[in-house]
Amino acid sequence: MKITRRKFFRVSAGAGMAALTATAVSPFLGVVNVAEARTSKKSKIVPFRFVVVGDTHLYEMPNHRFDKTFKRAIDDILKMRPKPDFVLFIGDLAQFGKVKELEKGKKFLDRLKRAGIKYRIIPGEHDWYLDMGKTWKEMFGRPYWSFDHKGVHFIGMNSILVRDYWTARNMSPWERMLAIAELECHICGLWGVREKQLEWLKKDVKNLRPDTPIVIFTHSPLWDYYPRWNFQTEDAPQVREILSKFEKVIAIHGHVHQVVYNKTGNMVHIGNLATAWPWPYPPVDLPYPKIRMMRVDPGDIFDGVGFASTFIDDTFLGKMKYETWADLIPDEIKDGVPL
Amino acid sequence: MRGIKFLLAVGTGVFIGIGVSTLISIKEATARKPFTKEDLKLMNEELMALVKKGDELWHSPKLGKNGLTCANCHPDGANSNPHTFPKFQDNVGKVATLREMINWCIKKPLEGKELPEDSEEMKALEAYAIYMYRGFPLRPGDNTREYPPVKVKSGPGYP
Repeated sequence: MKITRRKFFRVSAGAGMAALTATAVSPFLGVVNVAEARTSKKSKIVPFRFVVVGDTHLYEMPNHRFDKTFKRAIDDILKMRPKPDFVLFIGDLAQFGKVKELEKGKKFLDRLKRAGIKYRIIPGEHDWYLDMGKTWKEMFGRPYWSFDHKGVHFIGMNSILVRDYWTARNMSPWERMLAIAELECHICGLWGVREKQLEWLKKDVKNLRPDTPIVIFTHSPLWDYYPRWNFQTEDAPQVREILSKFEKVIAIHGHVHQVVYNKTGNMVHIGNLATAWPWPYPPVDLPYPKIRMMRVDPGDIFDGVGFASTFIDDTFLGKMKYETWADLIPDEIKDGVPL
Repeated sequence: MRGIKFLLAVGTGVFIGIGVSTLISIKEATARKPFTKEDLKLMNEELMALVKKGDELWHSPKLGKNGLTCANCHPDGANSNPHTFPKFQDNVGKVATLREMINWCIKKPLEGKELPEDSEEMKALEAYAIYMYRGFPLRPGDNTREYPPVKVKSGPGYP
């Protein structure tokens, strides 16, 4: 059996050898971490499961194909036993940020609430640029937040903030929205979380011990995947730096509409599927090419899409299982991707 | 003898003359001066106008009825794999051309009305898809994989 760093840590700490072994095991661990390890007690994590769903891209028109796939996801989540502890919606509820689209989406999400399943939500660019997040904030509140759940610290951030590309071009709100609704928008520039949220994040994690398990949600990846399609977050290096004091961070993102995985320093990154449609893989090499989805049948609205259920165990080992309705996930990762 | 030599000389001269003139006329009939830079520029502008029209259509919901565009699934033309056509398409159920596949996408995922295959719109969509795969070797029949398009750093992906 493979002994993970964290398990090894706890075993060593118990044997009173942490200071010696931990520094030898990982170059990421500094003196502070070792000191923490020596004093680390029994894990406070009570194992649990949560769901990640998003990129529903709802249109205003009734009985749209994307209504059907989102409905199926919600139906499936409601059938899960045991119930997930909560659902995280990872952005792009609407296609063009229209009030009616967001209202439609909220109705779907409120089905969860009525069944006693809480949901948390962060925005995507499709929710935002018609009215600069006004409707979204009225409906869902602050677009960045944190909470603690069963021993894990969860963080959600708004990673889709761009520099003003519309004023100088004299664009209407609708034109601004249409531009950024294209994945390959070539006037919109790179997204980021920006200074205000970076300051907030610093404060949010300031008093947390380095062995605190952290899960962070952003719409876009916190690593440079393919900037052309904003498969990136411009100030992700700063986010990663702020979170570098932690032993391990699980970073879950949407936007890519595909199975993708990466590791940077103390972070594991994983992409969520959309319920709307799958994006192709961009013209770059994948860091973990075996963790990818298979070819999609474009004639089947339930192929290439889905959501994810994530299990966290008492040692902060996670497993993200892609929940799909077609033969999309290769056998090696069908039971879940270890996080 | 002198008379014969004279006749031979005249005959040879006539023969060579006919030969040369034939060669010249053949050359005139089969070759032209290379295109000037100006010619090439104009022709390329025509092509780029078609590619641009294709780009606009590729990103336009007017081809379908459900608000979707070709670019929903194919940003920068990705996974349209134009260099692999013609090929057997299992969703079309036969060997299909790129144009037939474009029409399948318009009809099915976009829930729209197929375009006449020789229409300007179809030519434009085809031109955009092919242009985003410029430089790729032809692989007719290749159903083994999906190919990402050219790597675009900035702009629409064409000059």
